[in-house]
Order: sequence, then C-alpha cells, then structure tokens
Amino acid sequence: MNRQDPVPDEALIEAVQEGDRNAAAWLYNRHVDRVHRICYRIVLDPSQVQDCVQEVWLKVFRKLGRFRCDKSFAAWLNSVTANTAIDYYRKWIRQRKHINSGGIHPGTAAADENPGNRQLDSALIQERIRDALETISVNQRTAFILRYYEDMTIAEIAQTLGCTEGAVRTHIRRSLLALRAKLAGKIDV
Amino acid sequence: MKNQRLSLEEFKAFFQDSFESQEELLSEYNSFLSTFEQLDQAAVPDLSSEKKAEIFKQSCQSQWRESPWIFTLINFFRQPALTFALGIVIGCILMSVVKNDPVDLTGTASADELLEIEHTRYSQTYKGKIIDDYYPEFENPKIVLEKAGEDAPPQRTLHGTLDNGEIYVVWNL
Repeated sequence: MNRQDPVPDEALIEAVQEGDRNAAAWLYNRHVDRVHRICYRIVLDPSQVQDCVQEVWLKVFRKLGRFRCDKSFAAWLNSVTANTAIDYYRKWIRQRKHINSGGIHPGTAAADENPGNRQLDSALIQERIRDALETISVNQRTAFILRYYEDMTIAEIAQTLGCTEGAVRTHIRRSLLALRAKLAGKIDV
Repeated sequence: MKNQRLSLEEFKAFFQDSFESQEELLSEYNSFLSTFEQLDQAAVPDLSSEKKAEIFKQSCQSQWRESPWIFTLINFFRQPALTFALGIVIGCILMSVVKNDPVDLTGTASADELLEIEHTRYSQTYKGKIIDDYYPEFENPKIVLEKAGEDAPPQRTLHGTLDNGEIYVVWNL
C-alpha cells in the first residue's frame, strides 16, 4: 500500500465485498499501474497488454469476495498478476506460432536492421530489449522482473510463483547471464 | 521506471565460486551493471486514462451485474464463529431428528411377523407369513401341535378357512 493513501487496502476490500463500486474503483486506480507494468514486461507484446491487464482485474474482482484481509493485498495482487500474465503469454505464444506458421516473427523487425548501425532509435532499442527478454523463459523473466523492477524479495517471488527460493535464484542467475549475452555490445548507452 | 540495481552482495551470492580473483569478480559485476543500464532504456508506456477506465468498466461490469447481496451473504458466512455456531445448531437438529424418529432399517417384515408361536401347556400354535406362504390355498392357516397329556405324542393339525371364511378346515398332518 502507498503510504500517502489515507484509506488502507483492507478497508477498501471490505467495502468492495459489501458491494461498494466506488471502493472497487479506488482500489483499481491505486494498483492498476503496477499491474500494467508487470503485465507489460512479462507479455512483452504491447498489443496484448491491455487484454492481459483486463484478465488480471477480472480475476481480482471475481476472487475479491473470498479474499481474507489477514494477508497483504499487494502480495496477493502481484501473485494473481504474475501468474495470469505467464498464462496469458503462453497462450498468446501458442496462438502466434499458429498464425505465423509461415515463419514471420512479428517482433523481430529490429533484428533485420543493419548490425553496423549503432545509432538505434528509441523504438529499435525497445525492440532489442524486448527480443532479449523474450529469449529467456517466461518463468525466468517473471522472476527477474519481480526482483529488479518490482523490488520483491526472493522469498516473496518464490511464494508468488509457487516454487522454491533456490529455483528463483536459478531463474534469476540464468536470466542475468542470458540478458548480458544477448545485449552485450548491441546498444549504446 | 528504473530497475533496481544488482548489488555486489547479491551478485556474489548468485555467482559464488565462479571467479578466481576479486578483480575478475568486479569486472564481471560491472559488465552486469552495464546490462542493467541497457535495460533501463526499456520504458513501459503509461496506460492512458481512457484505457484504464475501459479496463475497469469491462472487468467490473460482469461482477457487479451479479447483485451485491451475494457478496454480503458470502461475507456473512465467512465469519468463523458464526459458521461454527451454525454447524453445532445443524448437528443438534440432525441428532434430534435421528433420535426421535429413527430410520427403520429392519425391512418390512420382522421375525415375529414371519412366524408367530403361541404356547400353552399342551399346545403350540404356529402362524405367520411362513405358514401363509406354505399353504397359500388356505386363509389364515395355522399349524397346531397338541398333546393329550405330558407323555402323549403330539398331534399335528392344520387349521384354516376357505371361501372367505365360509369353510373351516382342520387337517391332520
């Protein structure tokens, strides 16, 4: 919960459980940016992010009636978001493979550019990073994102992904190695 | 939003025993920091207010179409003390019903109904379903074992009626 928020999440959740739609809107506005950020980095395809975010909130509102306030809403939301985004990404990749069985990869325009060109524009940089992130598995990527972009601890990530802390460390280690290998010398900073 | 930097401590924890010297470790660590700097350039575009509103509307609508009383009801039954008390009350009601009106598990015919035996000092009378089934042509058949005295041999007779009780039959067996 944000420290400046006068109404705690728990109070809003109780109001939502009693049918208060304004409380739902308040809760949504408080957390939607974080949900969007996590979905964006896991799903990677900007055209799919809005649907993924919507799927997360559908689940959240559907399950909120049974949510027990003895645990952190933010942690629960992170878990719902990460797992929904992982599932969404896998589903989307299957569909994309089916659609592009001709072999055209929609996210590799940047890879076709002249490699000698060091002055990549912003869109191209985004594309390169997205490609690099896409080379690692979705579980590795999620662990990496939650650790370094959402500042979650290894234990929290393990709980979120339903795996051991050792598995999370392995995911992050492999992500770091793969990203460094993929991005080495590709982008001027 | 910038990513959190990989701290040297964390780096050592991930890659312990991978490097032979401190210099090599620091050099590798710096190369990872450079990767993080590159990743900083991957900005996440903001979600526009219109899109936020649309997502909220879509996600919320299907939930609020169901009337909120269901939430109230669920909430009501989520109180552990109440659920516990309700469990006890329901249990008591069930016990009371079972004790006051026990379920008849003995079937339609008891042993008494199958064969009734009437004893007197010198006679025994057998009647019931078994005798009825054995002599279906008779109405209310009964077998009577009679002794003329203590040491006399028993005499067996079948008693019954025919023709709606018009004819009374006594048959020596």
